[in-house]
Amino acid sequence: MNTITIEKPDVKIRVRDLDFFYGQTRALKSINLSLARNEVTAFIGPSGCGKSTLLRVLNRMYDLYSGQRATGEVILDGENILSPGIDVNLLRARVGMVFQKPTPFPMSIYENIAFGIRLYEKPPKSELDGRVEKALRGAALWEEVKDKLHTSGLGLSGGQQQRLCIARTVAIHPEVILFDEPASALDPISTAKVEELIDELSEEFTIVIVTHNMQQAARVSKYTAFMYLGELVEFGLTNRLFTSPEKKQTQDYITGRFG
Amino acid sequence: MSDHIVRSYDRELDLLGRRIAEMGGIAEQMLSDAMDALANLDPELARKVVGTDTRLDALQREIEDEAILTIARRQPMAIDLRECVAAIRVSGDLERVGDLAKNIAKRAIKIAAEARLPRAIIGIKSMHEFAAIQLKDVLDAYAQRDIERARAVWSRDVELDALEDSVFRDLLTFMMEDPRNITFCTHLLFCSKNIERIGDHTTNIAETTIYLVTGETPQMERPKGAIDKVGGP
Repeated sequence: MNTITIEKPDVKIRVRDLDFFYGQTRALKSINLSLARNEVTAFIGPSGCGKSTLLRVLNRMYDLYSGQRATGEVILDGENILSPGIDVNLLRARVGMVFQKPTPFPMSIYENIAFGIRLYEKPPKSELDGRVEKALRGAALWEEVKDKLHTSGLGLSGGQQQRLCIARTVAIHPEVILFDEPASALDPISTAKVEELIDELSEEFTIVIVTHNMQQAARVSKYTAFMYLGELVEFGLTNRLFTSPEKKQTQDYITGRFG
Repeated sequence: MSDHIVRSYDRELDLLGRRIAEMGGIAEQMLSDAMDALANLDPELARKVVGTDTRLDALQREIEDEAILTIARRQPMAIDLRECVAAIRVSGDLERVGDLAKNIAKRAIKIAAEARLPRAIIGIKSMHEFAAIQLKDVLDAYAQRDIERARAVWSRDVELDALEDSVFRDLLTFMMEDPRNITFCTHLLFCSKNIERIGDHTTNIAETTIYLVTGETPQMERPKGAIDKVGGP
């Protein structure tokens, strides 16, 4: 396996010998890789390669479904998050997730964000207002919604809804944010805004993004992992992987010669 | 290399390759005609070379446009991206080779009237023979993605520099022998410099070939001939 050593930016999450099963099906095969702190790492690969599965392991999203299990280790700051003693709710506060389709709650813009904060803490109203504003600013949405905070989040455009979901994630101060195809349902302008946001967020958070759009992976990430059939084929610096990949499979995939 | 899922993408890249081959053929022919014109003092052939240059310029623009369009349309990655960049670079080098051949042809026209001292041309002929083989080799290496051949061309450039050095000394001697040789020999000095420059463009193409195949540009110091130390003409 071709691996790179992450040196200067230290490791936030280390995945070791990770296997994942949907019932009898082995969807991830001995995955080993490290995610650098406060950097963006992209997972790419054809449909069914396991990239979303890997993403869902990182905050144990799969726990919601029976018959799915992971073996191996996923070490977040020294702690194996796959061990049974882990508080999954707390883990998901530390490792937030943004999905492909914007999923605002059917409530006001303000409540969409306050709701999540209240799940973990009970700040006084004045502090809560500040947190909501900060989160919306953090998601570059404040200027667009500040005059209609108490209207429904569902009334926003798709791109705004997605940024609302990012604000909701940011509001609870996670350490890691997982993006699962965050821009695939958005128009180019909204996509650019989300990409700009990812860039800004990477100063504060460790970010992992799954995307089918290779140019997007090339634009936003520092490291890229190429997966195929449940295996990690190549992992390395994005600049290198998209200009001269080491593996033929990687080259065939990124140049559109697959299959 | 297997084919792209989108076949028109393959056609675009093939077209770039064919255009480069066409430019290479024209540049080789221009160089060879320019040398014949110089050696045989044939102004008519020389004028033909000058006229051909516009075709080479047009092809270069065409390749650049095509490569830029492909970049915009396909957002090529990895080998495909390098293919586009390499086509732009190589077409630039070949266009310069054409310019330098054209310059030799123009000088052939000028000195045809005052032809003297055929033996002064012998050294330049050897330079040309060497440069022509190098150019042919590098074009083959590029077309076949043959990095060993490209490396061989690259390391042989030093010999062309040595030849230029010796031509430089010969011409200096002829000029000292008889001041009436000065005009003629000065033109020849420029011709030899032009051929040496063609060698440099050939070396560039060799480097581009290595970059195209491996993704890396050779980091070695370029082989240098003695003339660089005295600062040639």
